[in-house]
Amino acid sequence: MTVLTPAAEVERPASVRATGPARRSPRSVLAIALFLAPAVGLVALLMIAPFVDTAYRSFFADNGFTRTFVGLDNYVTLFTSAGFGQTLLNTLMWVAGTLALPVLIGLLIAAGTHELRWGAVARFALVLPYALSGAATAVVWMFVLRDDGALNAALAAVGLGGLEQGWLLEWPLNTVVMIVASTWQGTGVAVILFLIGLQAIPPSTIEAAKLDGATGFRLFWHITLPQLRPITVVVVGISVVNSLKTFDIVWLLSKGGPGTASETLALTMYRETFTLARYGAGAAVAVVLTVVVVAVSWIYLRRQLRAN
Amino acid sequence: MTDRPLSRRTLLGLAGAGGLAWATGCARGTYTRPAPGNVLTLNNDVATWTDAYAAASDALERRTGSRLAVRAVPNQSTYQQIVRMSAQTDATTDLFKWWNGYRLQDIARGGIITDLSTAWDHAQEQGWVNPEMRESFSFDGRPYALPLYKTYYPMFFSRRAFAAAGVTVPTTFAELLEVAGTLRDAGITPIGAPGATTWESIIWFTQLLIGHSPDYYEDVTAGRASYLDDTATAAMELWARMYADGLFSEPDADQSGFPGMFADGTLGMVIAGTFTINSYIQAGLGAADVGMFLVPPVDPVVEHAVVVESAALCVSADAHKHEQAMAVADDWLATDVQQAWADQLGDASANPAALPTGSVVADFAHDVARVRPREVTRYWEASPPVLVEGNVQDLSAFMVTPTVDNGITVLRNLQDRADAEWEAWRA
Repeated sequence: MTVLTPAAEVERPASVRATGPARRSPRSVLAIALFLAPAVGLVALLMIAPFVDTAYRSFFADNGFTRTFVGLDNYVTLFTSAGFGQTLLNTLMWVAGTLALPVLIGLLIAAGTHELRWGAVARFALVLPYALSGAATAVVWMFVLRDDGALNAALAAVGLGGLEQGWLLEWPLNTVVMIVASTWQGTGVAVILFLIGLQAIPPSTIEAAKLDGATGFRLFWHITLPQLRPITVVVVGISVVNSLKTFDIVWLLSKGGPGTASETLALTMYRETFTLARYGAGAAVAVVLTVVVVAVSWIYLRRQLRAN
Repeated sequence: MTDRPLSRRTLLGLAGAGGLAWATGCARGTYTRPAPGNVLTLNNDVATWTDAYAAASDALERRTGSRLAVRAVPNQSTYQQIVRMSAQTDATTDLFKWWNGYRLQDIARGGIITDLSTAWDHAQEQGWVNPEMRESFSFDGRPYALPLYKTYYPMFFSRRAFAAAGVTVPTTFAELLEVAGTLRDAGITPIGAPGATTWESIIWFTQLLIGHSPDYYEDVTAGRASYLDDTATAAMELWARMYADGLFSEPDADQSGFPGMFADGTLGMVIAGTFTINSYIQAGLGAADVGMFLVPPVDPVVEHAVVVESAALCVSADAHKHEQAMAVADDWLATDVQQAWADQLGDASANPAALPTGSVVADFAHDVARVRPREVTRYWEASPPVLVEGNVQDLSAFMVTPTVDNGITVLRNLQDRADAEWEAWRA
C-alpha cells in the first residue's frame, strides 16, 4: 500500500489536520452534528439495523414458526451447495457484461451524438428505455425472446429459421441475452451521465488540442476521455453495484432456470427466503451478497477516488 | 405574512400532524381488530374468486348469521409470507386459504390453525364430503382444514382441432399417442405443456407416474419409494420419447394463450386443472368448443387414476372471531353453500352433490362418477414443500432438454433431494 501511495497523498491529510479542525468552535461542531444527524439516523435505522438483524437471523434455522440456533450451518450449506458455484459464475457474468456493455455503449452514444445536429433526437430514443421499470422491460423482452416470440418469428420470416433458438431456455445463452436486455434498458443512465461529463469539459481545452492538430479519435482518446474520468468512476461504480444486485429481469424472464442454471445471488436469496420459507438460509445469502457488494464498491471507489 | 393565509411553517406543521395521525391510524389498522358486525375476514390468493365467495357468503349467512369479507393477495409467494407472518400477530384474518397435504402439515405443526375434527365429523355425518379426502387435510391424525373446492386434472381438448384432424377422444394411452401424432401431422400443436419456468412441469411427470402405477406415485411422494425405481425411469423414457416424437408444445408456451389456440384449432389438447375452464369461458368458448376426458392409464391393466387438487380452508388459531369462524367451518361443506360457491366458481366442489350447473366441468364430473378413478393428491401438495419446489425446478430443466439421459440425471437429483429433505422434514 505504501509503495503505491505517492508522497502527495500522505501530505494532504496532514495539512488538513493542521488547518481544519483547529478553527472549529464547539458550537460549529454541534451544528455539523445536528445537520448530519438526520441522515446518519435514517441510514442507521433503515439500513444498518435491518442488516444487523439479518446477520443475526442467518445463524438460525427458521421456518417462520420456530427458530433454532445453528451457528454457521447456513453458510456452510450455502458454500458447499452444488448450485453456489453456478450462482457466483452468473453473478460474475452479470458484472462483466453490464460493465462492458452499458458503460462502453453509453460512452460511444454520448460522445457520438454530443455535437450532432439531431443528436438530441437520437439520444432521446436511446435513453427512453431507461424510463421503463425492470419489470416492464422484462415483459417486453419476454415477448421477443420466448420460443414462439418475435425474434424467432422474425428469423423464420427472413429465411434464417436455422438460427432459431430457445433464447431463454439454455444456459449460458439465456444469461447473455438477459444481459443484452438489461443493457438496452440500462444504457440510458450511462449516456446521461457521460453527457454531463462531456458538457463539463472546458471548451478551451478542446480548442487548444485542436490548435495543436488533434482531431477525431486522437482528440477523443487523449483529451476527451481523460477528462471524463471522474464521471466514468461514477458510471462504472453504479453499474457494478446494480449488476451484483440483478434480480427483476432474471426473475421475470427465466425465473433463474432452467433448474437454477441462470440464478444470481439475489435470486438465490429470494428463493431460499420466499419460495422455500427458509428464512435463516435466505438471510445468509443476503449477508454474503451485502458483503460482496460493499467490498467491491469500497475497494473500487477507494482506488479510483484516490487515483483522482 | 398578512396577505398569505397559510404560512409555509403552518403548512408543514399541518402536513406533519396529518402524517402522524395517519401513521397512528395504520398502527391500529383494521387488520388488528375484529371485523365489525357479523363479518368474518377471509384471506386468499385468488382475486377472481370474489363473486364466488360472495355467493357462498350469502348462503352461509342464512345458515350461520356470519358473512365473509374477502381479502386477496394475488401473488402466491407474497401471500404465503403474509399468512405465515400475520398468523403470529393480532393482524390475522379469521379464515384463510391454504393448500392441503404437506403444505398444510407445515403450518399445522407451526400451531397457527385450529383442529377441525368436529366440522369434518359433522360434514361426514351429513354426507357432504368423501371421507377419503380427510387424510390429505390432516396432521398427526387430526384434520386442520376443509376442502375449499375440488379440481381434477383431466385432458382438455379442442373440438375444432379434433374435427380438423378427424380424430376422436382416445380410450387408451396408445390411442392418445396416435391422436397426438395425427394432430401433429395435421400441423396442429398436439399437446400444450408449459413448465419451463413454472410449477406446471409437475403435470406430465405426475400423469406418467400414475399412468404406470398410482401405488408407486403415492409411495414415492410419501418418501417410501425411490425416484430411481424402474417405474420412474419408464415414465421419464416415455416422456422423452413423446418429446422426440414432437407431441408437446415448446416448454415456455403460455397457458393464457391456450383458449385462443383452442378456438382457432391450432392446439389439440392440454392437461390442466378443471378450474382453468374459467379462462376458456371468458374467452367465449363453451361446451361446443372444449371437451374434457380422463387421461387413460399408460399400462392398460393399471387402474384409472386422476390428480386432484383441493385448496384448504383454515380457521386461524388466533382468529378475532374464533367461535363464529368455527360455525362457518361447520357449514362450509353444506350442499346449498357449495352449490352457490361451485356455480360461481365453475369448478367442482368437495361435496359430490354440488356440481356447477350446466358446465363442461359438470359433464366431466359425471364421467368421474361413472369411471370412479383413484384420486391422487397433486404433486405440489404430496411431498414436503421444500422438496417439491426443488424438484419442480429440476423437472422444468428436463422439459427444456427432454432427453432420456437428462431424464435419468433429473431422477438422480430428485432422489438426492428427497434423501436430504425427508431427513429435514422428519427431524
